[in-house]
Amino acid sequence: MAAISLEGLFKSYGATPVVRGLSLEVREGELVSLLGPSGCGKTTTLRMLAGLEHPDTGVIRIGGEMVAGPGVRVPPEQRGLGMVFQGYAVWPHRSVEENVAYPLTLRRMPKAEVAEKVREALRWVRLEALATRRPHELSGGQLQRVALARALVAGPRVLLLDEPLSNLDAALREELRAELAALRARLGTTLVFVTHDQGEALALSDRIAVMNQGVLEQVDAPETLYREPATPFVAGFVGGANVLTGEVREGAFHTARSGTLFQLPADTLARPGPATLVVRPEDLALGEQGTSLPLSARLFLGHATEYRFPVDGTLLRVVAPPLEVRPGQTLKVQLRKARLFSVG
Amino acid sequence: MSTSARWLGLFAWLVPLVLFAVGPVVLLLARGAGAPGELGWEWLASESGALGNTLAISGGAAVLALALGTPLSLLLFRTDLPLRGAFTVLFTLPSAIPAFIWGMGWLSLASPRAGYLNRLLGEGTLDIHGPVGIAFVEGLSGLPLVLLAGAAALRRVDPALEEAARVCGASPARALLTTTVPLVLPSLLSGAVMVFLMAASSFGVPYLLGVSASPPTRVLTTRIYELVLLGDEGLGRASALALALLLLTPLSLLATWALGRSGRVRLSTGKGLASRPLTLGRARVWVTGGVAGTCALLVLLPLAAILLTSLQRSFGANLTWEELTLSHWSGVLLEPRTLRATGLSLLLAAGAGVLVCGLGLAAALLQRTFRRLGAGVEAVAVWPYAVPGTVLALALLLAFSRDWRFILLDKVAFVLALAHTPWLLLIAYAAKYLALGTRNSSEALAQLDPSLTEAARISGAGPLRAFVDVTLPLLRPALTVAFILAFLSCATEITMSVLLVPAGSEVLGKLLFDLQSYADPAAAAVLACAFVALVVLGQAVLALVARRAAEVR
Repeated sequence: MAAISLEGLFKSYGATPVVRGLSLEVREGELVSLLGPSGCGKTTTLRMLAGLEHPDTGVIRIGGEMVAGPGVRVPPEQRGLGMVFQGYAVWPHRSVEENVAYPLTLRRMPKAEVAEKVREALRWVRLEALATRRPHELSGGQLQRVALARALVAGPRVLLLDEPLSNLDAALREELRAELAALRARLGTTLVFVTHDQGEALALSDRIAVMNQGVLEQVDAPETLYREPATPFVAGFVGGANVLTGEVREGAFHTARSGTLFQLPADTLARPGPATLVVRPEDLALGEQGTSLPLSARLFLGHATEYRFPVDGTLLRVVAPPLEVRPGQTLKVQLRKARLFSVG
Repeated sequence: MSTSARWLGLFAWLVPLVLFAVGPVVLLLARGAGAPGELGWEWLASESGALGNTLAISGGAAVLALALGTPLSLLLFRTDLPLRGAFTVLFTLPSAIPAFIWGMGWLSLASPRAGYLNRLLGEGTLDIHGPVGIAFVEGLSGLPLVLLAGAAALRRVDPALEEAARVCGASPARALLTTTVPLVLPSLLSGAVMVFLMAASSFGVPYLLGVSASPPTRVLTTRIYELVLLGDEGLGRASALALALLLLTPLSLLATWALGRSGRVRLSTGKGLASRPLTLGRARVWVTGGVAGTCALLVLLPLAAILLTSLQRSFGANLTWEELTLSHWSGVLLEPRTLRATGLSLLLAAGAGVLVCGLGLAAALLQRTFRRLGAGVEAVAVWPYAVPGTVLALALLLAFSRDWRFILLDKVAFVLALAHTPWLLLIAYAAKYLALGTRNSSEALAQLDPSLTEAARISGAGPLRAFVDVTLPLLRPALTVAFILAFLSCATEITMSVLLVPAGSEVLGKLLFDLQSYADPAAAAVLACAFVALVVLGQAVLALVARRAAEVR
């Protein structure tokens, strides 16, 4: 049985639709990321799941029980969830252990048992030593762990995480990401994770649900998503691919505005007609053959070099080994691998 | 919150406000608007002297406050003047202590014959009575309004603007005068408009320094008081004058709004910008001396005069050691009348403080719940604060001079018999200072991250439990501040107390007023010293609360 099922969710604020017909199932013990740019509706989806927002139409089930639907509106406190907020939401007037104990106190648990469970939860997040501290004495990473312990302490059916790592610096984010993975392996809780960082989603998730403008674009395992993006948006957002619109004619791609011509690799499935060309920066080669383009910039990335060429009002990015070239020079760009999406 | 619960909440909040604050004032206005028709326009012309005096005195007070406040705010908040913090505290005292007490202080210093200054300078050199004296005292007691407006504006002026003037070749003083001063001037002016409004609605000082002088100086508030004392025949005229006085409020607020708007355009909206203070250099000693002298003369001297008056056997006698006595202190502080007044005042102030916090918090919550309607809720809550005390008291007096009967469902009858009871005072206090509760709560609520409450909901708390466990504790510092401010204001309130105290009861403000006006300046001075002590104590507690709150965040 699915731990969570969302069926045909719609939500708008005033006249602005935020979530449009979203359906998704999360299996028991699975970690699913909701990935998308800001304003894509991922946080609203999470908040509807938590009970902090109510869908206009659609049904939400948690563990088979309907929590939101026609005539049904289970308030957040009765959904048995844990949630980590983007800004941590650690209560500043309570100590670390009081914060973590709160969900248990509400369940009228005996004091000794509360103390035991709080200690255990603090051990999970390695904060035993700071139990009596006040939140204003803690760092951002420590506050994040308090929020995590508080969300986990009552043994929630599902743990919801709203961009939990976005307020931390890069090193701390790496560390917490590893810890989150370890904790998850140990506790086996079902997780729904909202993020706009594709690297984070790829590294942590069992499956990723990519959202764009309130619509679910694709739900798949990270590798599938990366290798076989279902839409140009997914390819662009997840793989950082170049996306060009134009037309396929006689085995070549012509861009829509300038008519720049790219020879397509022999193994590309190309149907003549209007299409969107998706190609990753590393699937382009610089060399003797291909389309002649003027180089506009050259960026040293460390492991490779990125070359930028203006095409059709955007920049075509190519990642290739270092070359002795200067901006303004004309280079030949060749497609080695590409995907085409028919338009219409 | 469900829709019906929201509307029920709004209704429950509006009923007392409409019944006890908005309704009475509207009734008074209606009556005042009808008065000229009844009494004839000639009568209104005969009162034009009071209107003229009000405008002249308030204008004078505003000009004085601006003239003193502009250089002072620059010195206190933009230079390296030593002891800036201490000077700031001392210069804000005039607003914290009731204006009436400053009037008493200046009366001790500069009454024509017995005033201490006149005894030094020769009899009759100074006379605090009359329009100039009133404007002087009102201007001083409004000085902090200009200072604080200046401080707030100076914090928002981008220091880079002044630095740019320096780079262009301006001297430090010239850079200050040509860039910063013009930028903060609109804020200072809007502070001065507030002084004007405060002076126009002031009752105690013009009564003390105007009515008993010869020839008497009458302003709108004191005329209203005299007319109310006449009984029923005066009430119609009093209402007409109240209407005139009340019209000054929207006009002044409009002026403030216009000035504030023109000022806001140019000020940076970013967070507090620290600017390097202007060094006074060689002028430092002279400037410090000047500020200290001004502070001593304008703030400390009147208070010292009151203290001296309270210790002198009789005011006006020669100043010798043998003339000093503590008998007034023991006499006043132990007298049953004082104790009764203290008891009732503290009880009323505490009750009003609780009402201010409760209704203010409710107003702030309603404001959030009803987004569009919220502005209306705020207006209803803050509006009585802008109504002069004399007008509010008169409105309540008129509205509840007879008993009100309410019949619910043809069965349950309520009789609201408030005339001649202390309840009317409680209502007046709570209505007048409700703005303190509303403003403090809504500011604190706006700073509260909604996810804190949401986290409690997810943890398993219902809406009410989440409010009690999370929202309320986090609002506590703001509510404590609101309570202390309201408590201090009510415990030392004079204007409304004078009009509303029922026969046979006594509150501190009325007692002070009576002692000073009719009986015994020395006894009044003792009470005034107690007021000052209470205010200073309250301010100290406020500073402590502010520091504690800053630590938690």
